[in-house]
Amino acid sequence: MYAIAIHGGAGAVPRATLPPERERNYREGLEAALDGGYAVLERGGTSLDAVATAVRLLEDHPSFNAGHGAALTRDGAAELDAAVMDGRQLRAGAVASVRHVKNPIDLARRVMEKSRHVLLVGAGAEEFALEEHFSLVPNQYFRTAERLEQLESEQRGERVSDLVPPAPQGTVGAVARDAAGNLAAATSTGGMTNKRPGRVGDSPIIGAGTYAKNGVCAVSATGHGEYFIRAVAAHHVCAAVEYRGLTLEQAVHELLHGILRELGGDGGLIAIDHAGRVVMDFSTEGMFRGARDAAGRREIAIY
Amino acid sequence: MSRRKITAIVFVLFLGMAGSVSAAAPPPIAIVIHGGAGVIESSKMSPERAASYRAGLAAALDTGYDVLARGGTSLDAVMAAVRVMEDDPQFNAGRGAVLNHEGDAELDAAIMDGSGPRAGAVAGVRHVRNPIELARLVMDKSPHVLLVADGAEEFALEQGMALVPRGYFRTEAREQELENARRAEAAPTGKPTTLIAVPGGEYSMGTVGAVALDRAGNLAAATSTGGLTNKHRGRIGDTPLIGAGTYASNESCAVSGTGQGEYYIRQVVAYDVCALVQYRHMTLAQAVHEVVQVKLRRTGGEGGVIALDRGGNIAMDFNSAGMFRGARDSRGRRDIAMYRDAGH
Repeated sequence: MYAIAIHGGAGAVPRATLPPERERNYREGLEAALDGGYAVLERGGTSLDAVATAVRLLEDHPSFNAGHGAALTRDGAAELDAAVMDGRQLRAGAVASVRHVKNPIDLARRVMEKSRHVLLVGAGAEEFALEEHFSLVPNQYFRTAERLEQLESEQRGERVSDLVPPAPQGTVGAVARDAAGNLAAATSTGGMTNKRPGRVGDSPIIGAGTYAKNGVCAVSATGHGEYFIRAVAAHHVCAAVEYRGLTLEQAVHELLHGILRELGGDGGLIAIDHAGRVVMDFSTEGMFRGARDAAGRREIAIY
Repeated sequence: MSRRKITAIVFVLFLGMAGSVSAAAPPPIAIVIHGGAGVIESSKMSPERAASYRAGLAAALDTGYDVLARGGTSLDAVMAAVRVMEDDPQFNAGRGAVLNHEGDAELDAAIMDGSGPRAGAVAGVRHVRNPIELARLVMDKSPHVLLVADGAEEFALEQGMALVPRGYFRTEAREQELENARRAEAAPTGKPTTLIAVPGGEYSMGTVGAVALDRAGNLAAATSTGGLTNKHRGRIGDTPLIGAGTYASNESCAVSGTGQGEYYIRQVVAYDVCALVQYRHMTLAQAVHEVVQVKLRRTGGEGGVIALDRGGNIAMDFNSAGMFRGARDSRGRRDIAMYRDAGH
């Protein structure tokens, strides 16, 4: 069965602070990404194309913390991270700290397909983008009035960052299984609001924020990245399924509500197993998420 | 009760049961180091060079061991051992690191404290004399785990670290290696030579690392590297990625890897060794064998790992021709080796 799941970040999203029109805006963004990715699968496309398509749509949507509308560093710039992994041969590509790449997920995919490397960072990653004929955009392209406001209040010492636009921990991601049984995962983020330049979270780290292995599972995480790195979160879920025979649900639950809780880190993740079963779980108040599969399931949820 | 506490109690019980064997013996302390894996063959190495590598490895091993013997932490021991190899120009880390396509050293390092788990890492730094020290500061003094490039150096300055010019890292031998690699790349048959060994510069997969177990029973791991000769600017390998090239948890083991980093990243090698120990209940040697000789081989990934568990069990395994390595513990073991047949 082919299926796709997406997330648009986890964090404190109290119902009361999310006005109806904003909620509608998020839901529409999630729907567009979910259906865009699903359409690829429906046409017989690969899970890799499906997750890349869904994530690109979320990157282009200003309400989510990735691409256009990403959270800003303490210097007021956007610094973007992304990763993609193809569960077929454990191929992976990732970029970190890029400032002028419109769709970091496209560059991550290019790293996987056209370089002999997995991870490129900073100016070197952008040099590679130019070599691959990407046109770069000014950093200003990513900046939105809302993110500037968010940065300013954060810098004034107000802890509003978990509110609208939600999630300094916002990150976007997708996991999918295609009709041929291939699994793939993709994640993209602007990181934390007011972050130190050069800080890299879990998103572009294979095994931490992103992982896919055919026959086992595919995972994309969102949350307090440092904890997800230390716990090797995404790979932990797959190892628990592969080595201990846990169900995907049990593995995800143990990670989020056991291991990460004990370490003091919160967040959420989406995962899909070899049969196309989707798990979406979080330890925060909410997580923007959606899932759609060939059996007719189609849902979008926030709380 | 936390899983960690349970593990600690089980461990104490285990020691109690083993008491009849080692009556009043203190828990073991141990350190294992590597100085890179690759085409390291006795036929290609002059006796002088072999002696020089051995001396470099011995200095790092004993410096780290001394920290443990004085009652220091495994974290301080792995850092001390790695710092010695960073300062030694024959190893690919710190001074004497390999050069990227533009002729600069771009350095990566990570450290992990198995009792936390806490971790710190830096990548793509170009002016930090001892990247392992900066990784430790990231762990100890920032809320982050990984800082890269200019942002990492900004943090170094904020922490009062003095930066060094890029020329500090460059050695004649590495400049020659880079030139050879560029020439090979430009040749019509040019396949990507830099991923494996550079002709005429057999040691380009070098990375240095250490894992240790201290008297308190805490594990730690540290790894530092200049990456690949002629690498693309900004390329990051497995070394600074927690779970890929470096991992330590008191619940399982401590691992430091060296090899073709891209394979190590995709297979999350260091963490996979520990997951096999913890969840598949393999011995450390079995887990390391499974990852290095089966899983990495299957995908074509070349290199090795060193690993250590809380019982003081040591594993050093590689699927390349050789690996610079050493191990020392309080049971009297002290080896330094580089070729396939141990003892050489």
